Amino acid sequence: MTTATPAPVEDPPRKAGAGAGVAVVTGSASGIGAAVAAELAARGWRVGGLDLAASPLCDLSAVVDVTDAAAVAAAVARVGAALGPVAAAVSVAGHYEMAPVGEITVEQWTRMLRVHLGGLRTLSKCVLPGMLERGAGAIVAITSELAVGGGDGDAHYAAAKGAVLGFVRSLAAEVAPAGLRVNAVAPGPTDTPLLAPDSPWRAAAYLQTLPVRRLGSPEEVARCVAWLVEEGTFCVGEVLGPNSGAVI
Amino acid sequence: MTGHLQGRVALVTGAGRGMGVAHARRLAADGAVVALNDLTGSTALTSLAAELGGVTAVGDVSDPAAVTRLVADVEARVGPVGILVANHAFMSMARLTQDDETDWWRVVDTNLGGTFHLIQAVLPGMRAHGAGRIVIIASEWGVTGWPGATAYAASKAGLIALTKTLGRELAPEGIVVNAIAPGVIDTPQLLVDAAAAEVSLAEIHARYASGIPLGRIGAPEEVAAAVALLADHRLGSMVGQVIQVNGGSTRGRV
Repeated sequence: MTTATPAPVEDPPRKAGAGAGVAVVTGSASGIGAAVAAELAARGWRVGGLDLAASPLCDLSAVVDVTDAAAVAAAVARVGAALGPVAAAVSVAGHYEMAPVGEITVEQWTRMLRVHLGGLRTLSKCVLPGMLERGAGAIVAITSELAVGGGDGDAHYAAAKGAVLGFVRSLAAEVAPAGLRVNAVAPGPTDTPLLAPDSPWRAAAYLQTLPVRRLGSPEEVARCVAWLVEEGTFCVGEVLGPNSGAVI
Repeated sequence: MTGHLQGRVALVTGAGRGMGVAHARRLAADGAVVALNDLTGSTALTSLAAELGGVTAVGDVSDPAAVTRLVADVEARVGPVGILVANHAFMSMARLTQDDETDWWRVVDTNLGGTFHLIQAVLPGMRAHGAGRIVIIASEWGVTGWPGATAYAASKAGLIALTKTLGRELAPEGIVVNAIAPGVIDTPQLLVDAAAAEVSLAEIHARYASGIPLGRIGAPEEVAAAVALLADHRLGSMVGQVIQVNGGSTRGRV
């Protein structure tokens, strides 16, 4: 497995009223999470990263499992104490495997839901009190085009990512009146360590079916995340789809 | 002017007022040379072009010949159009049984037809470069429909289907087509709405805001920010998508 190295960002940090602050990113050690951390850092954010592995690109790295609510709460508290009030939270930590629905074990099913939906729920619960107190904040969840289009062998993953969409739309409606924004990015197949080298999503024949004819890059997903955090100030419960045209 | 759109020409239609002005300002700030279209010439359009270092491109987009002429004129003066922002719109509200058929078709032929003519006109230039960004301004009503707005909603829903189809069709050539569906935005249209409802502008703002989870209407600059994202040539994996900028009224429904 390789760790994606985010491309340098040539933009100067945006002036926008957004005013870069402190962000918490889960899954920040590799892939999309690492790209999000790098993109936010390049825009002037201080980033606390939560991952099973260390997050070298982050200002603060906490090694935790997002299914461990107490550990996540402690890590988010540590980020707040060390870096300052959390203004943005990005739930990226994920887990992917394919299996025919009849062969998915209860353990596999539960793990899928606990990582994706549980990870988002826990992260949101940890950052919401501070955000509500300050009347500002942005939460972005990474879901998947499979949540919209489904996929053969993806029942547990699609169910978990679909649940993320329902959660995002409901929490968005719940906290928007308080000035908080909750949105999502639903990437398509993306060139990250979650896709095994022999994954069918990397096959040339599959890529030819995509309008864009290639995998998306973690940097493209990160650009969408950063946009929702900083500039999508009238977006609430919205889902951006950098999916190479897999779901239109 | 520096920015990641430096060296690119952006044609913005309906740029005389409202959201089009915000799109033009934002794309110019990001480095693009802007060409500003409106139905008729005006001092506002000319001075905006001068301020932004761009050009004007006056003409009726519902007329294919006029579109061919204005795109050719822009390309002769500042180069091939690399970014098209189809922002023009004509709106006329009426119940279906009480509407004027000429007016009804004018809505469709301007909003949907005009965008089609524009895309046909800019395609050769984009194809020659193997790259392009087309941003179509649809509407929340194209997603939800609205009583008394059959023509407008049909035209905007048609634009969403056009976006999805051309997103698929043109992506292999490096030409990226996406749409934005704004909700209620603070534009001169709200003066029309206020007059129709016989209430003050402040009252119409408050009425609209009460139906939006974020509790306010949007600013043109917030839609322009979405235009800037979709014009960004570093983002190529998003095609055929519709970004909904509406403060949470539809929450991702497409």
